[in-house]
Formats: sequence, structure tokens, C-alpha cells
Amino acid sequence: MSLLHIKDLRLGFKTLAGQVDVLHGIDLDIAAGEKIALVGESGSGKSVTARIVLGLLQETRTARINGTVQFDGQDINSMSARDRATLRGTEMSIIFQDPTSSLNPMFTIGNQFTEVLRRRDPKLSKADSHVRATTLLDEVAIPDPARVLRAYPFQLSGGMNQRVMIAMALANKPKLLLADEPGTALDVSVQAQTLTLMRDMVVQNGTSVLFISHNLGVVREFADRIYVIYRGNIVEDGPTDALFANPQHAYTRALMSAVPRITGVGIPEVPEVSDDFLAPRISHGDAL
Amino acid sequence: MSGFLRLLLNRLGISLIVLVGVSMLIFAIARIIPGDPARIALGPNANAEQIAKLRAEMHLDASLPVQYGHFVVDVLRGDLGTSLYTNRPVTQDIAQFLPATLELVFLAGFIMVAVGLPLGILAAHYRGRWQDHLVRVIALLTVSAPAFVWAVILMLLFAFYLPLFPIAGRISDIYDIERTTGFLTIDTLLAGNWTAFGSAVHHLILPAIALSLSGIGQAARLTRANMVETYDKPYIEMAQAYGFFPSRIARSYAFKPSLIPSLTIIGLDFAAMLGNAFLVEAVFAWPGLSRYGVAVILRKDLNAIMGTVLIIAITFLIVNIIVDLMIAFLNPRIRYSTRGTS
Repeated sequence: MSLLHIKDLRLGFKTLAGQVDVLHGIDLDIAAGEKIALVGESGSGKSVTARIVLGLLQETRTARINGTVQFDGQDINSMSARDRATLRGTEMSIIFQDPTSSLNPMFTIGNQFTEVLRRRDPKLSKADSHVRATTLLDEVAIPDPARVLRAYPFQLSGGMNQRVMIAMALANKPKLLLADEPGTALDVSVQAQTLTLMRDMVVQNGTSVLFISHNLGVVREFADRIYVIYRGNIVEDGPTDALFANPQHAYTRALMSAVPRITGVGIPEVPEVSDDFLAPRISHGDAL
Repeated sequence: MSGFLRLLLNRLGISLIVLVGVSMLIFAIARIIPGDPARIALGPNANAEQIAKLRAEMHLDASLPVQYGHFVVDVLRGDLGTSLYTNRPVTQDIAQFLPATLELVFLAGFIMVAVGLPLGILAAHYRGRWQDHLVRVIALLTVSAPAFVWAVILMLLFAFYLPLFPIAGRISDIYDIERTTGFLTIDTLLAGNWTAFGSAVHHLILPAIALSLSGIGQAARLTRANMVETYDKPYIEMAQAYGFFPSRIARSYAFKPSLIPSLTIIGLDFAAMLGNAFLVEAVFAWPGLSRYGVAVILRKDLNAIMGTVLIIAITFLIVNIIVDLMIAFLNPRIRYSTRGTS
């Protein structure tokens, strides 16, 4: 059985002008320990999917969510808000785009770490959490963890904050890690370093990952399987190698050609909308 | 805390410069107001000789810079001259009236913070729902009428039609309290007279509420706006994504960053209360400095005007320094900026 099972997930937002549909029936599965990427352009519905899995969007009163989202055998959509909150920060966690603005500027890293660790272990003492945090920061190759724990986020570099975020996200040994364009706000070399670190850490912990990105190049190194999403529909999915070897869907090909290369041909032209992009879903076998 | 000390010295230095500016302004205004202070002081029946003598005593025959010099030296010696209105040294008048005003303004400021901030937090936490709308209506109501209008309304409602509170004054006449500090709430406690303390507090409540209402509205609106903005920050989504309790997010993660801009305005509001107190004190027959200030202005009592303005300016500066220090204490960015980042 898969850890995360999404079946016919639909999402709409109620607005004054009527309902705006964002997701038109998404199917997606993640096995235990599997690293999945959900790739698509801005506005394709990838971030809202992550927020539904986390149970955050369910709290938005204008959101209309239908379909099945099963996490570890439980249906997220039919849970109480309190039960969903219990899963967050313990069984699943998330890493956002910009690590520096994801950390609260008013509290030290150490304070925020304690809060995260107390999600799993509410009675954890300050001293014990300090010891645990030091070990965890050491695992993500942060030099002098004691100093970092005393620091505020604005005193650390973006790469350092990203390492802190990775350590926090995995601190409570979650079953599922959501990564919403992690490190997009960082410069490319730092992003690459922290992504490698993140991959090593999740492989070591056996964590399943839903990696959300607009960049197929970044995803290729990371994911076991890829789902390509366009305008609220999955248009193509399959094992990473198979998908890259033989991209079938017109939108997947367009996305691949959009990855910048150092050949000096400039930015490739991708049409904004093409009828081909709306062609039905193509699946490259089932990796499950 | 060396950064903290440096900040304090820096603010004290700036305040000193402001004080010099204020003293020059007061001095200039006092000379610009038409009429010869010596003639006003001596009354219409004085002869030219008497006036000339007093002018010499008051250094009015010297050049302006010399006059300013005398003024500054007098102020530094703690001599603000004699009030023509009360015929007593101005310092003595201020010592008598200032505590009453400070007592009123402190309580009003406390009410403003204790009621305004939680209302703002509540509204932001339930933004878009009925709690939010209710707070916004309350805030609009309190801001839209000046303090003296509220003073009259409150007095009519809760002292006249519904006699829950005394109509005027600082304390019931039956108590004879020794004035050690001039703060009646403190003096009654020093005397160990609890019923007198109760009476003093009882008299304080209505005027303090009247004075605080517009501040409550401002504080609530501002806190709400800042918090709603903070709620959109990625670190709040992060806190939600990690399953922290919504009430904890509101009280700690969202409130603390929002408090800083609110504090600046609350500091200004607090100082503005010193001015608003003029009319509230008049309505409630509160024997404070603000009422004294109005009386001496109406009588062109130059020494008393200058003394009152100077004291209010100093109070204003002290409040501002306290607010700056509180902001520095709350905001690690400011606390660490003097040390440099690591």
C-alpha cells in the first residue's frame, strides 16, 4: 500500500464571480521511501496540492476540496482540523522556497528548534532539545552548531538557513517530506549543495518525498518518479529515466526544452498555451 | 548589553538637542507674544519707574541672546520664575499639579495597551469574521469622537444617570491624606489607608477611560493591520505547516513582530494624551497640570506657560526614550545591529 494515495482530487475556490476550478482530478501515489516530483509551471496547481496534503488548505473557507487524499491509510479530507494539525510537524513536514523568510526573525534558531522537537515530544526540556538540535545540525554538516542555535535567522547565510530547515523538517522523523521549490531563493550552487544534502538525508531516513518544482533539470537528479502537471491535470507520469528518455506529451517536451543550457542560444520559446498541452494523460508504466 | 547602553546614551543625546530646541522655541514664543511682561505682571496702575525697575530685574532690557542665557541658567538652577496666576514659584505649581495628570495619563495609557492590543489580536486572528467586524466597529466609534466628548458622555451615563462613579475630583473630601509624592494612589498606600486608595482609584477610572478610548481604537486598528500583514509572512505558514496551535501562533509568532510598529504609535498616542488631558481634566474638574496649563495660557502668565510646556516636552521625550528602548529590547535586529552581524 502506498504512503500517500491521491485519487481524483478536485479543488475549486469560491469567488464573488463564481467557482474557479484549480485542480481537475489529480491521481498521484507515493510509496514508502519513494521520492516523487511534481513538476509544472506557476499556477499549474502543484503548490495547492502540497497544501491539501498538509491539511492547510482545508482550513480556507473559500476552498472546495473533493476526492481522496489518503495518508498512511487515513483520509486527510474527512479528518477533523485538530487531527490534521496533529499529523503536521510529526508525520509530515515541509520545506519552503526561501529558508530565511520561513524562519521567524524574532526567535533564535535554538528556540524554533525546540518548538519543532516539542511537536513530537511535548515535555522535552530546553536542555535536552538543545542536545538533540546540536546532533541534528551536526548531521546536516553545520559547523559550530552551538553558535547557530544562539543565532537569529538574519545572522546566518541563506545556505546555512536551508541546512537548518532541512534539519528541522527531518527532526521528528516524518514519513513524508513535502518540498515546495526548496531553495529556489538561493543561488544555484548553494541550491545544488543543499539539494544533494536533502537527498542524502531522506535516503538515510527512508523518508518519502513529494518534491514540487518548475525545473525538470533539478528534479532529474532527485526523483524516482515524476508527475508533470499542467493546468490542474496530470499530463504525464513515469519513472524519471523513462520519462526523460522518451517524453511523450507535448507539454513535457516544452518543459524540457525550457531548461536553460549553457550553449548560448538564449531563452527557448515556449508557447503560453497550445492545444497539444491539453492532450490526455500519458503513463510510463507503473513503478509501484 | 553594551549595544543597549549605547542606544540609551544615543537617545539621551538626541533628547538633549531636542530640549535645547524646545527651550529656544519657548523662549522665542514668550518674547513674540504681544504685551510687555513687566506691565502685565504689575497691572494697569503701575508707573513707568516701577515698570523699568521690574524690566531690569527680569533682564528684559538686555539683548535677546543675553536674555536667553539668563533663562537657561535659571532653568538649570531649577528656577522657572513666579506664576502671576497663583503668585507662587512655577516649580511649586508644577510639583503640585503634574502628579495628578501623570496618574491620569499612566492609567489611560495602561488601559489603552491592555484593551487595544488584545482587541487587535482578536480581530486579526478572526479576520473576516464577525469578531473582526465587531472590533472594527468599536475601534471606529472610539476614534471618531475626541476625548472630551467621551468624557461628557461617560460622565452623563455612569456618574449622573447611573451613579456608579463620582462626578468630579480626585478623591472624596472626607480623606485627609498627607501629600508625599503627589500621586494620590501612592500617597494613600503609603498612609496605609485602603479605603482612601479605593476612593482615589474610583475617581480615576472614568476620566482615564475617557482619555484612553481613542487610543484604544488606534491601538486595536494598528495591531490588527500589522498582524494581518504578518499572517501573510512565510514564517507564519511555516508555523502552521508544523502544526503549532493557532492560539500560540497568534500570541507569539504573529504578535511579537507586529508589536514593534504598534509600539511606536502607542508611544506617540501616550504623549498625545498629555495634550488631550487638557479637556478631560476640565470636564472632570481634575486638578492636573493640563487644567493649570489652560488657566495660565488664558491669563498670559508667561513664566507658568514656559514651565508647563518645558515639563510636557520633557515628559514626551522620556516616553519616547522608553518606547525606543522597548522596541530595541523586542527586536533582535536592532539589539544586534550595534554589535555587527556574525
